[in-house]
Amino acid sequence: MSSKKQLIPAEKMWPEIKRMAMAIHNRYINLEEDYAFVGIQQLGVPLAEKLQEIIINETGYTPALAKLDISMYRDDISNRKRLPLIRETDIPFDVNDKILVLVDDVLSSGRTIRAALDAITDYGRPKVIRLAVLVDRGNPEFPIHADFTGFDIDIPAENKIVVEFEDEPGIYCKEWN
Amino acid sequence: MSDILFKNARIIDPVRNIDTKGDLGVSDGRIADCGKLKNPEVIDLAGKVLTHGFLDVHVHLRQPGNTNAETIATGTMAAAAGGFTTIVAMPNTKPAADTVGAIELLRQTALQQAVVNVLPCGCMTVNSEGKEMAPIGSLKSAGIAALSDDGKCVQDHALMRHIVEYAKSFDLPILDHCEETTLAAGGVMNEGKWSVLLGFNGISGASEELIVARNIILSRMVDWKIHMQHISVKESVELIRQARKRGIKVTGEATPHHITLTDEKIKTFDTNYKMNPPLRSEEDRVALIEGIADDSITVIATDHAPHTTTAKMVEFDYAPFGIIGLETAFPLCYTELVKKGVIGLPKLLEKLIAGPADVMGIKNFDLSEGNAADIVIIDPDAQYVIDKESFKSKARNTPFDGMSVFGRIERTLVNGKTVYQL
Amino acid sequence: MQWNRKDLLTLYDLSGEEIEYLLDTAAEFKKVSERSVKKVPALRGKTVVNFFVEPSTRTRVSFELAEQRLSADIVNMQAQASSLLKGETLLDTVRNIEALQVDLVVMRHAAPGAQSFIAKHLKCGVINAGDGAHAHPTQALLDLFTIREKKGGFKGLKVAIIGDILHSRVARSNIWGLLKLGAEVTVAGPATLVPREFESIGVRVCHDLREATSDADVVNLLRIQHERQNASFFPSTGEYSRFFGIKADSFKYLKKDVLIMHPGPINRDVELAGDVADGPNSVILEQVTNGLAVRMAVLYSVSGCVQK
Repeated sequence: MSSKKQLIPAEKMWPEIKRMAMAIHNRYINLEEDYAFVGIQQLGVPLAEKLQEIIINETGYTPALAKLDISMYRDDISNRKRLPLIRETDIPFDVNDKILVLVDDVLSSGRTIRAALDAITDYGRPKVIRLAVLVDRGNPEFPIHADFTGFDIDIPAENKIVVEFEDEPGIYCKEWN
Repeated sequence: MSDILFKNARIIDPVRNIDTKGDLGVSDGRIADCGKLKNPEVIDLAGKVLTHGFLDVHVHLRQPGNTNAETIATGTMAAAAGGFTTIVAMPNTKPAADTVGAIELLRQTALQQAVVNVLPCGCMTVNSEGKEMAPIGSLKSAGIAALSDDGKCVQDHALMRHIVEYAKSFDLPILDHCEETTLAAGGVMNEGKWSVLLGFNGISGASEELIVARNIILSRMVDWKIHMQHISVKESVELIRQARKRGIKVTGEATPHHITLTDEKIKTFDTNYKMNPPLRSEEDRVALIEGIADDSITVIATDHAPHTTTAKMVEFDYAPFGIIGLETAFPLCYTELVKKGVIGLPKLLEKLIAGPADVMGIKNFDLSEGNAADIVIIDPDAQYVIDKESFKSKARNTPFDGMSVFGRIERTLVNGKTVYQL
Repeated sequence: MQWNRKDLLTLYDLSGEEIEYLLDTAAEFKKVSERSVKKVPALRGKTVVNFFVEPSTRTRVSFELAEQRLSADIVNMQAQASSLLKGETLLDTVRNIEALQVDLVVMRHAAPGAQSFIAKHLKCGVINAGDGAHAHPTQALLDLFTIREKKGGFKGLKVAIIGDILHSRVARSNIWGLLKLGAEVTVAGPATLVPREFESIGVRVCHDLREATSDADVVNLLRIQHERQNASFFPSTGEYSRFFGIKADSFKYLKKDVLIMHPGPINRDVELAGDVADGPNSVILEQVTNGLAVRMAVLYSVSGCVQK
């Protein structure tokens, strides 16, 4: 059994997401190339959609948005207890020479991002790839760091951090009893 | 060998139609007057059944030719464990029992190694190839008790007619494997819903029905008895039923597996469900049971067909046909037929004793004083789980391992000597 | 849906939900083959043995490409069933393969159930690439995938399978898959090759091509094998074609948007006229393309469930 403890309430999470969106937009809007979001399945996708929505509403500019599933690029498929479900990959633009912002909910070990880098570069040769995460746990196993971060949360590795955008929005900690 | 007094048993003698509570004496290998026993060992059989040893008219002993699967020694020990005191050894050994020498070898080996009575059966045709008649007269002189090409079937009807005529003159019963080969060609299981769903080549029920019909015609023409081995389809039961009503000298046998299993089992691809004739449909299974109940079918025989585990551990198509049956026959039939209320125990014993004795023309196959003390003792209330590792047979090819059954063979005596005891 | 099978043996074993999962997964793998980099590392470091105990070109090539696109290491083995019979048993052969630390065995065999038999004795995964007339699950999955792609779904969809149903593993696997997904299935062909017993599982059986196909949304034609003619199942391929072949004329009664499918290889102008095979209703080459995606999905899914 597990218990769920709220770490960040919705009323703090939403403003932080908005701040991230504007920071990303302001950083790249004046460059020659367009920038685009690449949401990593599963929870990077709704976060990327939120970021896109905020930028459209605030600036009128519409950054492109892709969905990327990295299951086929994992390095641990046979070590997992459950076979990962392959979700939709949809990249509706040419990634060559693009500025891509990978978006995920939580940066933990960095292995997902490693797989995402492999996956996205199989679609072409982007000019720049950056990383935006809502939560950075600050203890990656790979030399991977986020360029845009919402919250730095340092809790023991055995506790899982869960982000919810739908029913009860907020950031939670799952503890195993 | 000291005298034995079996006390308080339910004694059933299907040949003489006896079913009574009482005592039975054994002296000097024979059934004796209880009052004349000398210092008998007294065995109380309260709650137990004592009956004549069973007769299996359909056993493959595999010696000579495939002694990795079974031998005369292990096969007859299995028979004893199943309550069978007399068995008929099918002639499809390697070489086939189609010569005087082969029959003599079988009789000699049986004398030395068999623990139950072994009746040799000779081939009807040379090497059971269905082409030319075997030396039937000479085989009779050598000691065969019946004729069969079991595993194969004579397709040439004129030849079969001559065999029946010739066999009659030598007073030899014919035990026939009924299979028309073109309708069975390449088949590995019953032709029906499950062969269609599983993509296997089927053996049509009509393949059996055709030969049963032919045999009825020849039996009527020649006025000689033909016993149809391992009947498996509904239509065959009906043909035999009608023929017997007309007084034609045909008999039919059913196996324990055909009355307990159907072809649906083959969806597991377990080769222990592969036999010939194949497991048929539920409709056929029910018809066989009806045939047993109304005496259209008078014999239960096992078609005990040992194969090594290696031979059976292959693709279903390539596995040999057949399963062992001696050690599971009684409990399976008792559970399926008696426990379910289809027939009573005396009727079941009739199919295992009187019916087969009639087919073989054996007289005195009963518990009268002076007869050989071939006796089996049964605990009808015992419930147990079939464990193939406990089998006396050398082979393990049974689909019944792990099945819970009723009715246990406790002890078997041949000529007054205990050849099996639980 | 959580996939948890280490073997894919038949569609009879699968639930409709499991079949839908494989089709969904295949849709993602189809995109991989449409990229310029047609390869993903999903099975990197895994070893797959393609063990074909019956000749095959198409299915073997499709599996091989699928395995390569998943970055698996592959070994191809061919054997004759007869040589296996005389020498080593099938079980010994596959146990020897497994002892080489193989993760998956893709196997074709002429005997129904051969794969089911060995899968019970192996820890590695087993994928059935065709077992006699019993099952050919990946062929059926690619047919289902193609149908779903073109028709959107299966509920109430009418599918006619025409030809030698009796000897066809493709027909059997298609029937199970289609029934589980809610389609209505008709089988048709000469009475000698279309057993009535299929009615027992809810399939319509008929022996008239027009009756079978005039309301069909999909017509799947099976290859008619010349050796059946020798075994007295029908008089000649000419007569077969006359009564059971689909020709341009057939479009007088076929639905305008009917899908014409065939598992290949086609006997042109026997079960299917050449111009229809190449015509606008034919999806035969798309079936081949989809076969790759479906096999990638199957390889990926079962490999994730092989115990290490």
